[in-house]
Amino acid sequence: MAVAPDRESGRGGVPFAMKDPLHVPRERYYDRAFFELERERLWPHVWQMACRLEEIPASGDFVEYEICDQSIIVVRQADGSIGAFFNACRHRATELAKGDGRFPGGQIVCPFHGWRWNLDGSSSFVFGAEGFAPECLDPDDLRLRECLVDTWGGCVWINMDPDAPPLLDGLAPVPAMLDPLGVENMRVWWWKEVILDANWKLAQEAFLEGYHTMQTHPQIRRGPDDEAPPQLLAYETYARGHSSFRNGTQRVKMTPDQSLELSRIFWEGQDAMTLEKDIRVMASVRDHPDAAQSFPRLAVDAIYEDAAARGIPIAPYGPAMKLWGGEVFAFPNYFVLPQFANALCYRSRPYGDDPERCRFEVWSLTTYPEGEEPGPPQLQGRYAKDDTEHWGLIPRQDFSNIERQQRGLHSRSFEQLRLATEWERAISNMHESLDRHLER
Amino acid sequence: MTRVRVEPLGADLEPEPGESVIEAAWRLGYQWPTTCWGQAECMLCRVDVIAGEEATVPQGADEELALRTRLPASAQRPGLRLACRLQVRGDGVVLRKRGVVAPGPTGAP
Repeated sequence: MAVAPDRESGRGGVPFAMKDPLHVPRERYYDRAFFELERERLWPHVWQMACRLEEIPASGDFVEYEICDQSIIVVRQADGSIGAFFNACRHRATELAKGDGRFPGGQIVCPFHGWRWNLDGSSSFVFGAEGFAPECLDPDDLRLRECLVDTWGGCVWINMDPDAPPLLDGLAPVPAMLDPLGVENMRVWWWKEVILDANWKLAQEAFLEGYHTMQTHPQIRRGPDDEAPPQLLAYETYARGHSSFRNGTQRVKMTPDQSLELSRIFWEGQDAMTLEKDIRVMASVRDHPDAAQSFPRLAVDAIYEDAAARGIPIAPYGPAMKLWGGEVFAFPNYFVLPQFANALCYRSRPYGDDPERCRFEVWSLTTYPEGEEPGPPQLQGRYAKDDTEHWGLIPRQDFSNIERQQRGLHSRSFEQLRLATEWERAISNMHESLDRHLER
Repeated sequence: MTRVRVEPLGADLEPEPGESVIEAAWRLGYQWPTTCWGQAECMLCRVDVIAGEEATVPQGADEELALRTRLPASAQRPGLRLACRLQVRGDGVVLRKRGVVAPGPTGAP
């Protein structure tokens, strides 16, 4: 049987493998075999953000996490720890729980025949047990099958591979970069999702670089119209596919009013990172005698003073603040974009069994005064990519490009993405890490 | 603290804010008929509210749907509620429920 040459050329039999960091074969975003290889060799072996911790505050609270054809239930235990179990009845495979909710009686009950488990996954009841051969009811074999589970950054993370490295090793250096920014103290301000007609990687690649800002988001362009230098951002890539960018040393000088106007555009454009409350505080120092010279520093000082007055546990001043306005990417699919005591987070997953659809979630996080944290967050809704009521201008601009890009991949004229060495290295870094998973 | 009387056992329960009647009973060690353990599915925990209905929190959508669709017409009657969804907001509620068992010496559910 003839095999396309590209399929054979990859290491470890990976089809459409990365050959260099400058190009990405287009098939990686729509090929069925490639998608299925991800399903078999990436997702079951990688740490992934399963839910926000505050979704499951009390014993018996659960969240279902779906990834491709797998479903995992994340369950708060009676002792406050967290368990994660493959979501399949040990009898005839029925998924035991859907969506999110509570097991108020401390029992996970199959809706089909009423078999039960304790929150720790141990079998607690088999209806009509006398009708089964003893070998079918071995207690160890009836236990719900566990995933690795751990917490970091206000989130629950799971890994289906019992031989996976510990979470913090898998995520390094991301936790060390973000912990000093107080991400652990942040809570959900809002949480929405969109279904995009695009591969899950293509969707998130729009957020791995700030290079697109000049053309995609002209309203947040900094500096004079004719020179919006992409080198305002400094990019770094790390082992295991992680990456970051941050504001570089070059600054565009802005008046206080220009700074405030830009902050307002960010707030109105995405209601994340910079929130209305921050703008009010920043505006309070607009007329400070030193504002013309040092408005950014005065504004940050004002935000810290306001946080102290309100009992908001904002992280202390430190070098990690250089990540404000930047981005940290945790392979394979989680983003944190910190700013002040806030952050914007993304998670991109395949949707259905379709390489060309994805479920893209957006969280706006903020830090509440101690003792005033809100209750468990709910997904506000799933909104169309062009829903002007529920998505700000900035994400709508991004979503619009993503679907056009996916269509363009199929153009008979097109073979592979070409990437900027200086601005887009995080994209190939992600793909190279993906290939290391697929080679195994 | 609100008090709920459960007949014919004569038990007095004190549900905490946000807690359903069956959760209060479980917390205190009572056995209460159920096979779904709080999912508003099995209908076995259903109770008759025989007094103090004004002190009960009205049905939510899932309880209303379950009571309307998961019971034969012959079992449906006014005052029926699911103990796994029923919350109270004041004293004076009296429920009738057979099969509730007081905490036993073994403590085993």
